[in-house]
Amino acid sequence: MMRSRAAVLAIIALLLATSASVANPGGEGDADRDFTCGGSCHGDPALSAPSDGTVSVSVDSLVFSGTATAVHVTASGMSLSGNRLLGVFLLGSSNGNGDHPEDYGWAILQDPNGGSHNYVEVIVPPSGSVTLTWVMLAPEQTGLQNLFVEIHHGVNPNSNKWAYSALTRGYTVDVQPVPDNLPGFAFDWTPKMRVTGVDSPTEIRTRNATSVTVQWMLEGEWLPHDAEVSGAGDVWEAMLPATIGDTRMQYQVTTSNGEFSIVQPWLTVGTEPPPFDGGIWDARLQSFAFAFLVLSFLVSLQTRFSPWEGRPEIDHTEEVEAADAPPPPPGLEPQPADDYWARLVPSEENPGWLWDPVEEEWIADPNNPPGGDE
Amino acid sequence: MIGAATFHAAMAGIVVGTLVLATLCAIGCTVASLFPGMAGRLATKHMMETMDKAALVGASLGLAFLPIAILSGSFAADNVVTNALLYNKFVYSGLALGFWAAYVIGRVRFGPDVWQVRPLSALQGVTAVMAFLMTTMASSIGGKLVRDESLFDLLPIWLPSDSATVLNPMISAVLMLIGIAALVVVFRLGPKVERISLD
Repeated sequence: MMRSRAAVLAIIALLLATSASVANPGGEGDADRDFTCGGSCHGDPALSAPSDGTVSVSVDSLVFSGTATAVHVTASGMSLSGNRLLGVFLLGSSNGNGDHPEDYGWAILQDPNGGSHNYVEVIVPPSGSVTLTWVMLAPEQTGLQNLFVEIHHGVNPNSNKWAYSALTRGYTVDVQPVPDNLPGFAFDWTPKMRVTGVDSPTEIRTRNATSVTVQWMLEGEWLPHDAEVSGAGDVWEAMLPATIGDTRMQYQVTTSNGEFSIVQPWLTVGTEPPPFDGGIWDARLQSFAFAFLVLSFLVSLQTRFSPWEGRPEIDHTEEVEAADAPPPPPGLEPQPADDYWARLVPSEENPGWLWDPVEEEWIADPNNPPGGDE
Repeated sequence: MIGAATFHAAMAGIVVGTLVLATLCAIGCTVASLFPGMAGRLATKHMMETMDKAALVGASLGLAFLPIAILSGSFAADNVVTNALLYNKFVYSGLALGFWAAYVIGRVRFGPDVWQVRPLSALQGVTAVMAFLMTTMASSIGGKLVRDESLFDLLPIWLPSDSATVLNPMISAVLMLIGIAALVVVFRLGPKVERISLD
């Protein structure tokens, strides 16, 4: 009865353990997404709740078309899940489709994680506040534009399995025609990712620029360092130090042409791990090699341990049974056959008979049967 | 038509489910044969026979579906290995295949009385446990890849998987040939092994 109860309790515990897990607790990864992932489960009112966090957005209210501008988003005060993951959307609208800023003419030069997505995931530090920066090229078309920010996160514990979200109001940006000959980044340029530990030159492409200067600093530093820049025309190369581990480096480009000198927003050196050098056939071959090695080793062991023909001392059953058997009661110990006949005493008075002093009885002598001479 | 990833998830479910059964029953047989005093009802003849058969059927079924799961997983990943986790998934799958094949071969070679020979019983039990560990590692890596979450997160153990040792294909080929040669030697040139019978 107790075992049955224990089994039932174990099954219930396992079922509860599965319900404690929520969808994609490790996040979905950086991507291009519409408002609430295009109306997916996070948009369902039955599966979501308002966030208790605060989101503020800082963006220039006046920008020139085609020029770089930074959008700073600060999220703080959220209750978070155990892994402290926060998803942040930068949107051009909140319709549920066609919300990507690029749908409104913006071009994401760099997202906070070094990529070029409008949805990024970050681990919120213990301070509970995080600031993210998107660097974007303003739309070619002039006029008023809105930018929205939405955040998604979980809580701990999350018994309702809800997603918690918050959407800011629209931040209006007035896009004005760009002055003639204003130096800036080339429209089709986006910073390239760099492999961790590699210090290859960072390529920068510009327009209307006759000179470029670059400053860099590590995250947390206050004083920037000058980088060596080479190149001419619209293509420049800046020598930035290699980044190792989780170190983040930022750099700022100043484009000049004698008439204007424009300090561009800070960009992050996007790093990625070195490409994996294993191929599918390497993996398959190594997998089968290990399979055969393990198999052959274990089959050899089986053969070694098995009672194969010709192997000495394969059966110790009698010894084991003799060792495990309880001792017989006193006086009933089995006597070896030789001892039995040795203890019998011949008698001259009764020829043909042997006297057993233990059992106290006469035993017929097999070598000289009684009356054998007659 | 269903996607390779969906098919792979179904195959992985079958493999893990059947191999859980096989592992539990194999451990039960080993414990009952090595420690009959502690095993209680597990050590009865009827229970031993049931567990032995369940373990054999579970392991055989899992072994049959394991290559399908590996192949469908490979297709789900577009036949491209892009990171160490995915590479290790292949390696652990191969190890699981080797361990489970050894378990089934041992059980078929020696018959149901394999549990009555203590060293073989212990070897079969350890083989099943190692095979299951490899199987769960391979499947947990799948969870890590897709959801960044794994049941192993709850456990204090996690075998190396974030970095991979990529062997040169030639070395892998040589190792595979050594394994095949060793198998041939054991089966063809080694001592003749018969099914164990205590009657």
